Amino acid sequence: MNINATDKTLTGTPDFREMGEQELMRAEMTIARKYLGRFSWFMLVWWIANLTCWLALWPLTLTGMLPVWAAFPIATLNVILCYLPSHEAQHSNFAKNGRLRWLNELIGYTSTIPLVLPFKIARLTHMEHHTHTNDPELDPDYNVKADSWWHFVLNNIARRQPGRPNDYGRTLERLGNSATVNRAKLEGLAQTLAFWGILCALAWSGHAIEAAAIWWLPRYIGSIYISMMLSWAPHHPMTERGRYRNTRYFDATVGNILSMGMQYHIVHHLHPAIPLNWNGAAFREMRPILEARGCRMETF
Amino acid sequence: MIKAILGKLGPWGPVFFGVGFLAPLIAQTIEKLDRMPPLGLTPVEAGLICGTLLGLAAKLRGRWL
Repeated sequence: MNINATDKTLTGTPDFREMGEQELMRAEMTIARKYLGRFSWFMLVWWIANLTCWLALWPLTLTGMLPVWAAFPIATLNVILCYLPSHEAQHSNFAKNGRLRWLNELIGYTSTIPLVLPFKIARLTHMEHHTHTNDPELDPDYNVKADSWWHFVLNNIARRQPGRPNDYGRTLERLGNSATVNRAKLEGLAQTLAFWGILCALAWSGHAIEAAAIWWLPRYIGSIYISMMLSWAPHHPMTERGRYRNTRYFDATVGNILSMGMQYHIVHHLHPAIPLNWNGAAFREMRPILEARGCRMETF
Repeated sequence: MIKAILGKLGPWGPVFFGVGFLAPLIAQTIEKLDRMPPLGLTPVEAGLICGTLLGLAAKLRGRWL
């Protein structure tokens, strides 16, 4: 039986439902290898353009060149867009090692400045999410579980109230006292204190409204949106844990751009080294294989 | 030691936030809207009172909203 999934013109579409486990895996890997390990210039430009735009809002707004009401939606968009380049860096997709490793780490550290998400904590907890997807005890993102998107939003707001348990903190505690974890905690503390320090300094020096419009409120709104699109939507309803069932394809009513490519998040969970901008192409090629495996193809 | 300090200060986070950020935000919003606070208070005084009270209420109730 021909298992070359990409060679349809010569041999016709293979019937993946008749294939065994090994043949399906080989067919899936044949497609994945076309995209694995590519350097994504798209994500590099995304990182630099988004960060530059957000940083530029400060002088533009503080000097009165851009009104605060105009800066607010732009900053919110910047916060929403800032996570995904860091997400690529968390998986070392810009450079696993070698002479460009510094670039990978630079993108990881700086991309999420608007979101104030410490890179090392993000990386450690995200790897735990991949290892334990949908596990109620071990998946740090399990707390996003909700019956609908608006339940998710309400739960998310409730979780941010003072004194509520922090699942990322709990995960770090579980990971123990290794040098990596301690470094992550220290960096996380320093970045969080720096954020609040800068915010208060800006506020007391007469720029509270600008700080609220460019950082504080966008961060709040953006983190809810990111969590909904990256954690809730692709894993909803979070009841299954198998490799081919813990993440779904969903037909996003808001479109691929507004869902930030998360429709194809299943490809990311299967092959995290495929850069985001090729997840869609890889999914379209893999779709018959994923359907044969019983993957979930649903709507938002 | 850091953990102990954070454990002591953490619960007071909403009050720090109320004084450190909400107070000047309220004061500057009052000024921007060209309003006068009651009882002859300056915008900064009104901001400090509101910010501290909101922070204390959030600390005691365990929620902002």
